Amino acid sequence: MTPILELRNFGVTFRGRRHVDVVAATDISFTMTRGERLALVGRSGVGKSTIARAALGLVAPTTGAVLVDGNDLGSVSRRQLRSLRRRIHMVFQNPYQSLHPGMTVKRLIGESLAIQRVPPADRVELVNDALVAVGLPIELGSRYPDALSGGQRQRVALARALVAKPELVIADEPTSMLDASLRGVMIELLSQMQDVNDTAILYITHDLAMARYVGDTIAVMDKGRIVEMGPGEEVISSPNHPATSALLEAVIQ
Amino acid sequence: MSRSSKIVATIGIGFVGIILLAAVFAPILTEHPPNTTSGLAFESPSADHLLGTDDLGRDLWSQLLFGARISLSVGLAAAIIATVVGTVVALIAGYRGGTVDAVLMRVVDLVLSMPFLVLVLVLVTYFGRGLSVTIALIAGVLWARPARLLRGQVLKVKEFEHVVAAEAMGAGLWRILGLHILPRLTPLLSSQFVRAAAVAVIVQSGIAFLGLGDPSSVSWGATLSFANNASAILTDAWKWWILPPGIALTILIVGFAFIGYAAEEWADPRLTSYGYQRGVRRVLEEHPASPAGENESLVVRNLSVHYETEPPVHATTSVDLRTRSGRILGMVGESGSGKSTLAMAIAGLLAPPGRIVEGEVVLGDTDLRRLGRVGLTKLRGRRFAVVPQAAMSLLDPIITIRRQVAESALMTRRDGLEYASQLLSRVGIDPDRHDAYPHELSGGMRQRVVIAMAIANQPELLIADEPTTGLDVVTQRELLDLLDSLRSELEMDVLIISHDLRMVGSIADDLAIMYAGRIAELGEASAVLASPRHPYTELLLNAFPPVLGPRRPPVPIPGDPPDLSQIESGCPFAPRCPKVFETCLETVPEYVPVACHLAAT
Amino acid sequence: MRRAGRLALQYGLVVVAALVLNFILPRLAAGDPVDYLIPPDSSGFVTAEQRQATLARYDLDGSNRQQFVTYVKNLTHGDLGVSIRTGQPVREVVTGRLGWSLLLVGVAVSISTVLGVLLGFAAGWRRGTKRDIGVLSAVLAVDALPAFFVGLMLLLAFSVKLDWFPVYGAIAAGDITGWARVTDVARRLVLPASTLILTGIGSVFVVSRSALVSELGEDYVFMARAKGLDDRAVRRHAQRNALLPVSTAALLGFSTLVGAATVVETIFSYPGLGSLAFDSVLARDYPVLQGVFLLLALIAIGANFFNDLLYPRLDPRVRKVG
Repeated sequence: MTPILELRNFGVTFRGRRHVDVVAATDISFTMTRGERLALVGRSGVGKSTIARAALGLVAPTTGAVLVDGNDLGSVSRRQLRSLRRRIHMVFQNPYQSLHPGMTVKRLIGESLAIQRVPPADRVELVNDALVAVGLPIELGSRYPDALSGGQRQRVALARALVAKPELVIADEPTSMLDASLRGVMIELLSQMQDVNDTAILYITHDLAMARYVGDTIAVMDKGRIVEMGPGEEVISSPNHPATSALLEAVIQ
Repeated sequence: MSRSSKIVATIGIGFVGIILLAAVFAPILTEHPPNTTSGLAFESPSADHLLGTDDLGRDLWSQLLFGARISLSVGLAAAIIATVVGTVVALIAGYRGGTVDAVLMRVVDLVLSMPFLVLVLVLVTYFGRGLSVTIALIAGVLWARPARLLRGQVLKVKEFEHVVAAEAMGAGLWRILGLHILPRLTPLLSSQFVRAAAVAVIVQSGIAFLGLGDPSSVSWGATLSFANNASAILTDAWKWWILPPGIALTILIVGFAFIGYAAEEWADPRLTSYGYQRGVRRVLEEHPASPAGENESLVVRNLSVHYETEPPVHATTSVDLRTRSGRILGMVGESGSGKSTLAMAIAGLLAPPGRIVEGEVVLGDTDLRRLGRVGLTKLRGRRFAVVPQAAMSLLDPIITIRRQVAESALMTRRDGLEYASQLLSRVGIDPDRHDAYPHELSGGMRQRVVIAMAIANQPELLIADEPTTGLDVVTQRELLDLLDSLRSELEMDVLIISHDLRMVGSIADDLAIMYAGRIAELGEASAVLASPRHPYTELLLNAFPPVLGPRRPPVPIPGDPPDLSQIESGCPFAPRCPKVFETCLETVPEYVPVACHLAAT
Repeated sequence: MRRAGRLALQYGLVVVAALVLNFILPRLAAGDPVDYLIPPDSSGFVTAEQRQATLARYDLDGSNRQQFVTYVKNLTHGDLGVSIRTGQPVREVVTGRLGWSLLLVGVAVSISTVLGVLLGFAAGWRRGTKRDIGVLSAVLAVDALPAFFVGLMLLLAFSVKLDWFPVYGAIAAGDITGWARVTDVARRLVLPASTLILTGIGSVFVVSRSALVSELGEDYVFMARAKGLDDRAVRRHAQRNALLPVSTAALLGFSTLVGAATVVETIFSYPGLGSLAFDSVLARDYPVLQGVFLLLALIAIGANFFNDLLYPRLDPRVRKVG
């Protein structure tokens, strides 16, 4: 089966200030197939978000390739790119910025359906189902984002990603701007999602504790490279790389 | 929009409205058609000619009224064209970027560097003097400034996450530009439109004044030109010949300017932030608050803070706490629990509409509530220090970090700069970064700078409000360890506010758990973490996924956080409590150290 | 200094474009240029040779491309052509006026910037208070007055009615030297400069006020309060930051004002570049017009360039080299 996402020797170098190039990622290779859950863990600035953006074609690789369902994003037409993007959805880190302030909740959630030209009548039911799936009351659909708390907004963001039944959901540090007590909620919602649709999940975080529960496989990044990858429990119980150990020590109670 | 700008906008609309009415109803308001001789030359005002006549016997009142049509039509038409063109250029240049952007911006530069008035003069000479030509020429030069400003805005908006999210969902160009980017441009667009209208009116009247206006119509500028040529200032005629069109022009332009000003405030939300000033009200009750006890630094008694909004919000209610000498008190709660409000209230940094309605705040033997704004300012940074939330952008961007730290130190000593370096090294910043600017440092490092500023004068108490927000776990740990070591080195009390019970719990000596503006549980950290007595604390602990040990998925807390504008009877946690019973719904548990009926039995 | 080099290239392109535009514009006009060069009443009586001679004299013979080449060649020698009206070399005419323009605009911009910033900062600090709204409305109202109207009113009030200042001219006819000359110039400068100041102060005021209010809402101001800095220190921080957009606006305002002073110069018969442009437009003296246009464009481009170079000095966030 073709993996939904594949990175082959992927690397990105940005032109920085003072003519110093910033190497955001080097030689990253991994694949994700349907139903797989991979947690990408690392400190800030280590390259995790860059990978997320590359998977959606928002960042072009300097070396290597990004393939979605076998198609090299670097060589598809713009139309093909748009259609590929509809199969991968992203939940962003900042719940206060990733929702258009002028759209109601139901319009926000329905936007991915609108882009796919689902007729408005059909959208209503799908949007309501999505609201229920993330644990929000249907009445919330007619409110605007500024009436919602951070946790509620992230649920909306998740509903938006869910409603189009994507093959892969990329969650880029979805809880780092929320109260710590909401981490459990996110874990629960993501597990449900996976059970229902067999959606693959790429979870990006700096918190190994979260990674343990969301990912079957954990990949640890340091300075733009993947330094360790393996089944979650193994990586946690016997870390091989100092970066992993540092991350582990930080979250031990 | 603030009250002042609403007033200004209303006046502006009124002014423009008057001129609009004059323009529309001109034929009704005067019987003399414009631009035709209807009397003798240089007549003084009379019943037949309200403002007299000009050098060709044309009625000045009629010229005044019909002149409004020209000014308005030129102003609005040129502004509309210029704004539309400018917006289109801005969208293309800003969104596409790359060469297209570079080329378009150079064109904009070119147009902007052309001497505006002279250019229009030249063009009018070559292209003729008709009204539509004038409009086209003015618009042709006017579009550049909005284009440049709007492009800047497009560049910013392009990076907003909801725009990136739309792209990521596979949205097409039109949807992104029309639904996501353009609406964000509306405020700036409006203010640019109105400004353009004002400029267009000024330029048109200027051209007419110089004698280059449309000869078939008599605009206000042309009237003034004739007046000037007939040396009206040397006779009494200036009163009815020069003054009225001048004032009419002013009214119209002022109208646009006022509306533009209000639109600009709408465009830049920073301009409407609550006034900087607002003092802290001094409390002058009969009995001064009793000082803190031995071994106690900060004492808070019965503190209630309200936000005076519609409806009012009870941010904190009857909060009691105290820090013990040289110990770290961790105040933990979710968003909306009132913990930050409490911290700001203690430090005297509460922004309106927040207000302390009752309670005492004592630091050592000083009653903080008796000090006004000036008194509190003197203590801040010296006897107690505050590390505010989201320190990312809390540093002045144009001054080096060393000088900013020195600024704190110079309040009490002379060798500020050298001492600042010592402080920066102490908090873990490499000496060769000491003269860096804030934007050159990572978030974690900036946070360390803020801590250095806070300890500069060796305060008795350090209040850190969510010091680790937005940082990765390793940095969070490092910063908390830093606070811990500074605490013991300087023998100060530390109050850390956070939503992360586990993180703070690992270094705190004492813990206070807040819920719905009240203290739910208070105690030594080890005890609270090992055996929590309040159901909320217990649920909070279990909401954290443990990284080692048996796999136990976290249990989310059911329900939603309470609405602090509603005062319920009974325990605020009752709706979500798994151990709720009847008394909980009726009476508010006010026990200390655990505010729970169950725990009290 | 790679950045300066790149900027110079970009601005160089703009200069070239300005030159080309300068060349094209008059040739866009309808009609034979000769009609502009030869007085209307005698154009019917002009022979072919005379026409050709006239055209040659003003470098208007030959194809457009030849004319452009000649134009550029002449430019590189500093030859801007000859005035149709007076026969003087354009360069002399223009440079003669440049000094007066710079004097007028320089004085006006300096004073209006200083006053505008002081008032703007004072108002911004007290934002929302009655005094602030009052000052704001008053300044906006004065700013909205068209320059020529203000000029006329001032002329009326101070020259005609009160006879304090002369009605026109920058210097008296005849020879005055030394200190008397300076005071004479100063006296004649007062009204036109005041007009420009009154009409210019508004935009500086609004920009500085908005800039200060923006800065006061920034997090670092809150931090300064949290640090325990007193009001004076906080205000200093905010004002220093607010000066950045103000400096840009002032610099660019200077360059545009040199041309925009046209109307004011006309009213007061002040011998600056603006009134020269106007007179040339009326007289169809377009070698002079082109010369003025070119000079004003160069001044504006120069100011832009200077501002782009200067800004990183003031704002470390924009600096590329450490």
